[in-house]
Amino acid sequence: MAAAGDARLADVGIGLRQPHYAELLRTTPPLAFVEVHSENFFADGGAALAVLQQARSSYAVSLHGVGLGLGSAVGLDPWHLDRLLRLADRIDPVRVSDHACFARAEGRGGVVHANDLLPIAFSEASLAVMATNVSQVQDRLRRPLLVENLSSYVSFADDAMSEPEFFARLCRGTGCGMLLDVNNLMVNALNADAPDPVAACCAFVDALPAGIVGEIHVAGYCETGEIVIDDHGSRVRPAVWAVCAHALRRFGALPVLVEWDTDVPALGVLLAEAAHAATLHG
Amino acid sequence: MDEAQRQVALMRALAGAPADGLRERGARAARGLEAYRANAEASAERALAAVFGTVQAMVGRDDFRHLAREFWSAHPPQRGDLGEWGAAFPAWLASHPAMAPWPYLGDSARLDVALHRNERAADAALDAASLSLLESGDPARLRLELMPGSALIRSAWPIATIHRAHALEGDEAERAFEGVRDAIAAERGEDMLVVRQGWRAVVVPLSQPEARWTEALLAGADLASALDRAGAGFDFAAWLQAAIRNDWMKGVAVSND
Repeated sequence: MAAAGDARLADVGIGLRQPHYAELLRTTPPLAFVEVHSENFFADGGAALAVLQQARSSYAVSLHGVGLGLGSAVGLDPWHLDRLLRLADRIDPVRVSDHACFARAEGRGGVVHANDLLPIAFSEASLAVMATNVSQVQDRLRRPLLVENLSSYVSFADDAMSEPEFFARLCRGTGCGMLLDVNNLMVNALNADAPDPVAACCAFVDALPAGIVGEIHVAGYCETGEIVIDDHGSRVRPAVWAVCAHALRRFGALPVLVEWDTDVPALGVLLAEAAHAATLHG
Repeated sequence: MDEAQRQVALMRALAGAPADGLRERGARAARGLEAYRANAEASAERALAAVFGTVQAMVGRDDFRHLAREFWSAHPPQRGDLGEWGAAFPAWLASHPAMAPWPYLGDSARLDVALHRNERAADAALDAASLSLLESGDPARLRLELMPGSALIRSAWPIATIHRAHALEGDEAERAFEGVRDAIAAERGEDMLVVRQGWRAVVVPLSQPEARWTEALLAGADLASALDRAGAGFDFAAWLQAAIRNDWMKGVAVSND
């Protein structure tokens, strides 16, 4: 069993966020990798990029995008793809990922970017759009991409396939992998009033083919009373850890990322969550 | 449904149009759409506040939040990097009817965005060897290059003074704001250079000859023309010393044309 005192937590990482830059670089806790949101490092230069390059000398870096809009029917923004390629060349990441969402669409005066992870339909047409866009990214980056399942607050009435089937076909068709966010599964299950949310999430995991998942994300969520929001602003809930453990049993010892993006706590709190994730690797 | 149409329809629903084709109905659909709207509003405020700190301090958090929402609707982002969003904010703010009593807000926003862009600009170091060209080269064929991200702001308002006051605290800030009030009342214009000091962008007040000189350099003028534009009050030797000492200059280049 891995523990916090091990030389390096068994393939567990945390998000590298601004409040922790100095402490993390100074203390270099034994993490297998750190994750960053790619878009935060798209600038030509500056302090943030220098921090990331310094972090890279101690850690593998996972580039996790939030802005490609891989499901956008209008296609990808070439500027965005250029910046991602430049960043990947600079950082030599261990993994590159983004989300199964759309973000770009025709608006007033041209294509606008929602800067959010908007839901896609699970349809043949949507699958074709995703496959084309994912292939374009992979061709440019010359590496496979991991695509993450969403927490979505609305969905479409005319879905033609299940979400696991959508991912299975996307991965088979493009050679990409899946980034399985088990917190997103839980948020969706809770918002759908699933009678047994853990069972619903585990059923989703069991419906995925073995071999397509390349990384697992865990995070905290918040309940407003009316809706459950995937805010990445608290500790991982026990039920989410349970689904994570189930996924690791099914898929083997995959990299696990602990995400915490709002109300970012002391680094020690995040490292304790990472240490817990390491215990699940068995 | 065509995917492009479906996505446009959802974006329009988030902007307030009726939602169509969703599995969720009634209050459940409304709650879901509201979650996305709330996220967009928070993103707008966070992204603009990260750039326009001086403007936010001047108008206050609540009004800034409303301005951010309004600007998001009027000029939605076109890129998936919100650090790139907001270039149109200064002009939009300057022409906003509700901001008319504060005519210096637009220029303050221009300074804020120049500082933001400077801190995102490419890193560079002085090419010290290129300085020898100043002794041997023809001034009409030499160009002095400032560091990437360097920007000149010329304003009819005392926006460097305003910016500096907002960076201070306590008694110092109190005294600085007295100076700001006097300068605004006198409609005292200011020129300034935005450059990087370490990792932070800073504001360097400029005299009028220095501003004319900087304007010429940033426009790519050759050394002889830039000196001519700067005029009699410009001390090139003193400027060069300061430029080297403070990392304003990237180097000297020879024009090929």
